[in-house]
Amino acid sequence: MNIIKFCLSLSLTIVMLLLMDPRSFYGISFHEWAGLVIGLFFILHKILNWGWIKKVTISFFGRSPWRARLNYILDVFLLAGLTLMILSGIAIARTIDFSWLKLGGSPMFWRVMHTSSCLITLVLFGIHLGLHWNWVIQRFNFKRFSNGKED
Amino acid sequence: MVKKISFLLISAAILVFGYIGFNKLNYWERSARIFRINNRDQSFEGRMGRGPGGIRGRGDSGERDRSERPEGFREGFERPVMRDLPDSIRARFESGGERPGIRDRNTPDSLRQQFRRTDREQIPFDGRIRNGEGRGRGDFPGGRKINLRNVLWFLPVFASFAVIVIYLDKAYCLIIRRRKRI
Repeated sequence: MNIIKFCLSLSLTIVMLLLMDPRSFYGISFHEWAGLVIGLFFILHKILNWGWIKKVTISFFGRSPWRARLNYILDVFLLAGLTLMILSGIAIARTIDFSWLKLGGSPMFWRVMHTSSCLITLVLFGIHLGLHWNWVIQRFNFKRFSNGKED
Repeated sequence: MVKKISFLLISAAILVFGYIGFNKLNYWERSARIFRINNRDQSFEGRMGRGPGGIRGRGDSGERDRSERPEGFREGFERPVMRDLPDSIRARFESGGERPGIRDRNTPDSLRQQFRRTDREQIPFDGRIRNGEGRGRGDFPGGRKINLRNVLWFLPVFASFAVIVIYLDKAYCLIIRRRKRI
């Protein structure tokens, strides 16, 4: 299970970085479709970690450790950022027709919203990775480094 | 020890490149724009949002000023009255001829003949970029399909935030551990 989680997280990171510039990888069409797929990846990521989410939600105001709370708050911000990112992306989509959603608002507003939310979410992703670095190292079987016993 | 130093050097390099990328991508300005969008919208409201001299600003003071204006005074931009125009221009208008355009006014006759469109033909606009063959609708200027130049600057920015958090976390854990020992 951990390998699946790790592969999913790695692919999320790579796709997220490729999506940061719409011109970088096969144009706007890839950007839009991959943007939608990343949303599905994110939902899958949450489903795989549903046990942790449930546990921390129940004990958030109780005996939950500070680290779990911090991660939980960060995840809420990430969820908000990603939702905003996908929603604004849908509003300014050019190759996929989402006009039937009738989101309204000016294209300029959605564009600014999309750019800003993407940049902020990328920073949040970096912080999220930093807080889960020990877990990442464990996946590589580098437990000794994470415990600081490498010497 | 060697590994520790090498990790430290890699981290320092990531931070340096992250800082360069942060500035190069104008990261702060672009990400903080989301919080300024309301202010910007309010400061730019087109013609209706003008200050005291604008249309909205006229509001209450407009009524007061109107009484002080001479008879026949009209607000805003006005076309010159026909009788104030020179005889030659008035004659041209009255005969139903074209108004002299700015382009035509100072152009020699030879050039005017050369570029005149007698049949009022319009250049068809098909929404494409000039000389942009091969680009689909809504596509960015093409050429190479993969261009990771900009993405490569996002990577160190992303990694630098991760590195900062890793070291902050380590420092915090170290402090907690030392306190527990004491």
